[in-house]
Amino acid sequence: MKKDMIVAVCLAIVIVIMSYIATLGGGLGPLFNGVRPLTIIYLNTTLNIHNPNFTAMSPEAVTAIVWDYRGLDTLFETAVFYLAIIGSVAIYRGIDEKLRISEGFGLSKIVKVVTKLLIPMNIAIATSIALHGHLTPGGGFQAGAAMAVIPMLLIIAFSRYFLLDIRLSRGLALALRSVGLLGIALTVFIPVVIGLVNGLNAYIMQNQAKVNAPVSLPAFVGSSLISGSLIMYNVSEFLAVTFGFTLLFILLSIEEGLVKEQMRGEGVEH
Amino acid sequence: MNINIDEFLANISLISLIAIIGISLYGIFARPNIIKKIIALTIFTDAANLLAILVGFRRPPSIPPVLLNLQPSPEDIRYFTQVAVDPLPQALVLTAIVIGMAVNLLIIFIALQVYRLYGTLDVRKVRRLRG
Amino acid sequence: MELTYLLLAISMLFALVATYLAIVEKSLVKAVVYSALQSVSFTLALYLLKAPDIVLVYLPITVGVYPAAILFLIRKTEEVEEV
Repeated sequence: MKKDMIVAVCLAIVIVIMSYIATLGGGLGPLFNGVRPLTIIYLNTTLNIHNPNFTAMSPEAVTAIVWDYRGLDTLFETAVFYLAIIGSVAIYRGIDEKLRISEGFGLSKIVKVVTKLLIPMNIAIATSIALHGHLTPGGGFQAGAAMAVIPMLLIIAFSRYFLLDIRLSRGLALALRSVGLLGIALTVFIPVVIGLVNGLNAYIMQNQAKVNAPVSLPAFVGSSLISGSLIMYNVSEFLAVTFGFTLLFILLSIEEGLVKEQMRGEGVEH
Repeated sequence: MNINIDEFLANISLISLIAIIGISLYGIFARPNIIKKIIALTIFTDAANLLAILVGFRRPPSIPPVLLNLQPSPEDIRYFTQVAVDPLPQALVLTAIVIGMAVNLLIIFIALQVYRLYGTLDVRKVRRLRG
Repeated sequence: MELTYLLLAISMLFALVATYLAIVEKSLVKAVVYSALQSVSFTLALYLLKAPDIVLVYLPITVGVYPAAILFLIRKTEEVEEV
């Protein structure tokens, strides 16, 4: 233990000496001098009301890239997320859970009360991150990650039977996650439908009007900026990520004895 | 000797990041326990992501890629393009972290299944026992 | 001297020490704790690199969710790595 610590500190000192030598020898090239021309384009058009044919109408360049400029990439990333969850569900196929009362399980009363106080705050923060994702740092992925802490807290503090008591079963989590994915899928096709109805050109996942495709989703509601499709993508991705992780935690907390019993009962080698 | 202290400090960060990648690769290949391999794999992912962010950094004074003005004038936008850091690596890393976590959980479930079938998580023993 | 670079170098060296300890540690629970320490110093580095979006997504996942999931796995399987 102590020996490991000494070795680690020696390693750090070696790194410092190596960096000194590298700096004396001219360094590792010019660090952090300017950015690529592509970046200038992104930064220049993220919210540019003077150039209405190329803007994404969002002051947050990261959300604009995630759901507008490189939207199809994110769509396929979401598909990978979907497949990872389906793979986990497939490992646990056919394993039923017995219903039990959650009383008597979990940690002490103090922990439970503190958890109950924390959860409304956590929900408020996560919802705020999701709904302001196009204005301030945040968005669907961040809000989903913040919200995913809640089922983990509930399972650790109250035991997993509490989730069944409040009727948050595997099926419900899967259904709500599918609602999120459906929201994304519908938002992808909204501009195409508008274009078909009005006889205009439109692209899949289009947000604001382009030169040869004049369909654009509303960037303002009243005087508040909603950035067209970005807010819808953020809210849908928030649902999908939150309930995807909830589903995985529910699976992770199934008792091992139960699983082994049912695997042996089947008599099937997996 | 007279050196540029900023460059020295930036080189320390870069070289220690590369060293972290090396150590975690050692963990993935040489440690026998699957859980230790998973831990090393997550450290490797994090280091790769941080390297991507580091590439998009700009010399201070720089700001995050968020416009603070909702009705920006052309001067505001010009200033923004001159000081904001690169948002593209951030957008790619953002999805990579969340999707990586879901894939890691899938790997955790597979490790659990290996333990159920073989009764051990040591890859040397798993190799000897044939299911 | 720029304070950003100084804090960045310190947090990366701290992350290096934590990574080394996480990899060589025999007790898996302690290894997870060291890995979480490494994540905390990476979070500081991300904040210094002007990436608030990544901080928001990285902190809950690697400090909250991921150690808890690994601890679940350790509780169901083995606690010590035999070398």
